[in-house]
Amino acid sequence: MKFWSYFADLTGCKKTEIKLADYTTLGQVHTTVLEQFPKLAGAKNSTLKAVGLEYEDDDFVLSDGDEVSFFPPVQGG
Amino acid sequence: MKTELTISTGAIDETALAERREMGVGMGAVVCFSGVVRGSEGDATITAIAYEAHEEMARHQFALIFDAVEKRWPVESVRLVHRLGGVPVNEPSLWVEVTAPHRAEAFDACQFLIDEMKQKVPIWKKPIPV
Repeated sequence: MKFWSYFADLTGCKKTEIKLADYTTLGQVHTTVLEQFPKLAGAKNSTLKAVGLEYEDDDFVLSDGDEVSFFPPVQGG
Repeated sequence: MKTELTISTGAIDETALAERREMGVGMGAVVCFSGVVRGSEGDATITAIAYEAHEEMARHQFALIFDAVEKRWPVESVRLVHRLGGVPVNEPSLWVEVTAPHRAEAFDACQFLIDEMKQKVPIWKKPIPV
């Protein structure tokens, strides 16, 4: 999975791999990520989550090889 | 609808972009918007803003927004440029052009594009202090 913007500063990495059980949801990944990277807890409610190039909800079930991105609210313009 | 999306670290040359404009004879409105870096962010004085993007996802999300524009308004063309990397104060970080038959749909579509971009396109900024 990938962290973008200041999430990469908070985690100390732009990219990491997480091994998950079958049928893991995006919300469960978020819980796992917060355990590994507690500095992201303050942004828990504002975290945007994407799988591949699409935004997905917490109940989205991940498949093998999915690339998950977590990032803060966007600020283009 | 014709679309042209540029995401680049290069400076935005508004004159060159205007010179390349192509409009059909039925088009009566061009709306251009430039988003320019201000010299302050909150209470802090800054020299520039550094923009970062998840570029592949940004291009995809822009394409979805362009599709939504096409479904909603009779727009002939959209051109959008977003700069990445360091953008100094007073320089544009964003340039949007919409051509349409009438001003109402051109203004509305341009506003919609920017509003949607600010909600969905994964681009972030980091102010560079003095």
